Amino acid sequence: MSENLLEVRGLSAGYGQIEVLHSLDFHVADGEIVVILGANGAGKTTTMRSVSGMIQRSGDVLFDGNRIGSARPDAVLRVGISQVPQGRGTFTDLTVEDNLRAGAYSVKGSIAADIDRWYDVFPRLAERRDQRAGSLSGGEQQMLAIARAMMNRPKLLLCDEPSLGLAPIITQNLFKILGELRDEMGMALLVVEQNAGLSLQLCDRAYVLETGHIVASGTGDELLNDDTVKQAYLGGAG
Amino acid sequence: MSLFIQRMFDGLAEGSIYALLALALVVIFRSTGQLNFAQGEIGTLCAFFASTFTLSGLPVWVAILLAMAIGFLIAAFVERVVVRPIENRNPGAVIVALIGVFLAVNQLSAMFWGVDARSLPSLFPTNADSFFRIGDAAIRWERVGIIGVLAVVVVLLFLLFNRTKIGLAMRAVANNQESSNLVGIRVGNILILGWGLAGAIGALAAVMLAPSAGLTGTLMLGPFLYASVAAVLGGLDSPVGAVVGGLLIGLLKAFLIGYVDFLSDMLFPVMLVVLLSVLLFRPAGLFGTEKVERV
Repeated sequence: MSENLLEVRGLSAGYGQIEVLHSLDFHVADGEIVVILGANGAGKTTTMRSVSGMIQRSGDVLFDGNRIGSARPDAVLRVGISQVPQGRGTFTDLTVEDNLRAGAYSVKGSIAADIDRWYDVFPRLAERRDQRAGSLSGGEQQMLAIARAMMNRPKLLLCDEPSLGLAPIITQNLFKILGELRDEMGMALLVVEQNAGLSLQLCDRAYVLETGHIVASGTGDELLNDDTVKQAYLGGAG
Repeated sequence: MSLFIQRMFDGLAEGSIYALLALALVVIFRSTGQLNFAQGEIGTLCAFFASTFTLSGLPVWVAILLAMAIGFLIAAFVERVVVRPIENRNPGAVIVALIGVFLAVNQLSAMFWGVDARSLPSLFPTNADSFFRIGDAAIRWERVGIIGVLAVVVVLLFLLFNRTKIGLAMRAVANNQESSNLVGIRVGNILILGWGLAGAIGALAAVMLAPSAGLTGTLMLGPFLYASVAAVLGGLDSPVGAVVGGLLIGLLKAFLIGYVDFLSDMLFPVMLVVLLSVLLFRPAGLFGTEKVERV
């Protein structure tokens, strides 16, 4: 148990009287890429928001030796979890650089080196550092959202449907970058997606989420060849 | 010409009061999306406090700083106790609640300080000979002092918003509360801080105006209306716009009174025309951001 970076047990959450997640169990090991696959309304975003502390939830969430099952978002960030929200959530009226600074809000000390580093990884952002984030293209905004989350120097990065609204070629490039980030930094990734094809190729392990229950799990390859997954998420081919 | 220069300084000084009040409105509108109807009345209440402090022997500048601190606390209290609980349930009802705060604060000051005019000394010299000359024009030092106060506030706000982490957080919260939460900003604390800051600036506007206008319960009623028009003219989400709008409205008022006799008793209808023109032809105001975004 204790070797897992993130350990989630019996996680339930919802909005008002409506429970969306029903006692989920999942984990992410150090340096692992884990995908939670689900259709619209399966509870993907709710899962992300439960881990990052954005909504009320019950159950145990252990991260790197910390109990964060009832922690607020700022406390979750401080233990080393950053989230890239669905729809990017960039600060559209702020400049690109101010977005990065805001991402480091919980970081103490100098962040100049971090900013330079993410400009190196995403040269497009460097070119546009003084532009309003709202003027960037969708793909650029997704890069900014990732760079902003990385400014917190996370051990675990949560990505909520990074492919949403992006052209396939851009999504491919994005997943490539996410894979490289893991390889270079030993950071773990938890990605929720409905794009099964790309995300299952990227990941080490995956869970399938349906109406708030985890109904299947396995390695990316196992799920890619699983008949029910093919039926539901890969257009039924094969 | 000398009359023109004198009227210009009159307009700029009065416009500086509107600009301060409009700044307070904009700081709150940016973060909460609400027009704080009680802004002027909170200022008036603080001016009454300042007047009591000076009577008890405190120097004027100390009384002003204390009044600003009280303005900070009252506005922060209004945010936490009135605005936020209602906003979570029904955002549209907040404006009604703020009108309620307006009435409550107005009556509270009448209850404690009565309805007779109080005096509040100015921070600046106001003797008969406290003026300087540009050509033949006599410019009172108090006018220049008020314009200077606005300049200092503008510089301090600029530094706060653009050079500090708190200021970055305030801009982030104004733009996207959800994402602010996600980067670890305690949104609630920032909102309280923004309201408090606006309360302090509103108090400053009132204590600047009170010495020349006379301190009564209706001190800020007119200025609040002018400042609202100024804020819309400049753009409700733009601090720069608030300042420019405030000064423009002040100048417009001074020149109308000075040069267009038949309009000098119809200033509010003129303001209505200004307001409607802005809303019809340039809804975002002179400096406001139009909401065009790529997704």
